[in-house]
Amino acid sequence: MGGASAPRRLSGMQKQVLALYRGFLRATRSKSPDDRHRIESIVSSEFRRGARQVDRKNFLYIEYLLRRGKKQLDQLKSPDTTGLSSLHFVPPSQSMGSRK
Amino acid sequence: MAMRAAILRYIRLPARAQTLAAPRSREWTLLGGSSASRSMSSHGDDHLTKEEVVERVLSVVKSFPKVDPATVTPDVHFQNDLGLDSLDTVEIVMALEEEFKLEIPDLEADKIDSCHLAIEYIHNHPMAS
Repeated sequence: MGGASAPRRLSGMQKQVLALYRGFLRATRSKSPDDRHRIESIVSSEFRRGARQVDRKNFLYIEYLLRRGKKQLDQLKSPDTTGLSSLHFVPPSQSMGSRK
Repeated sequence: MAMRAAILRYIRLPARAQTLAAPRSREWTLLGGSSASRSMSSHGDDHLTKEEVVERVLSVVKSFPKVDPATVTPDVHFQNDLGLDSLDTVEIVMALEEEFKLEIPDLEADKIDSCHLAIEYIHNHPMAS
């Protein structure tokens, strides 16, 4: 291959986040065009918000978000799911407290 | 005791048979592999031309909202030249998947960070259409 520019190095955690994002975008393909567009814009803005607001060294919290995202993705994959109502980005303290 | 010896001898036999079989099975996969790649290259006739791949990859990248279409060439790097981030790159690679009716595994998709690599990957993909 060309190799004109050095490949960007992604950490394992970054790869997991990107894989999750890919998973979400893939899951929206099976929805109606309207739902798809709506879900895509929610998912995209949530990932971008996370990228902006979450400290990249806050591994515990990112791991928590990854776990939660995987669960939401599983829900989204169900054919009956047409939206994401539970997708809300909450600060670490609150989100940890609300989980049993 | 006699029975134990008999059982041990019985057990040892299949083990020896397995070590004999191992190199033979490796030979078989080598043969299988080469014939598979030969049949794949014979598919090349109805495969996309490089020009077509370049043109369609560029049109997908140009239609990306954050990209100025005038800056897109076959050599641009998504992040260094177009100012995109890793999430944008995921979106572009996903759009390319749909355009060419492919599913690119995560391991490969993580490496595609420029028009050049996207074109190479898609051009070499036997299922691209």
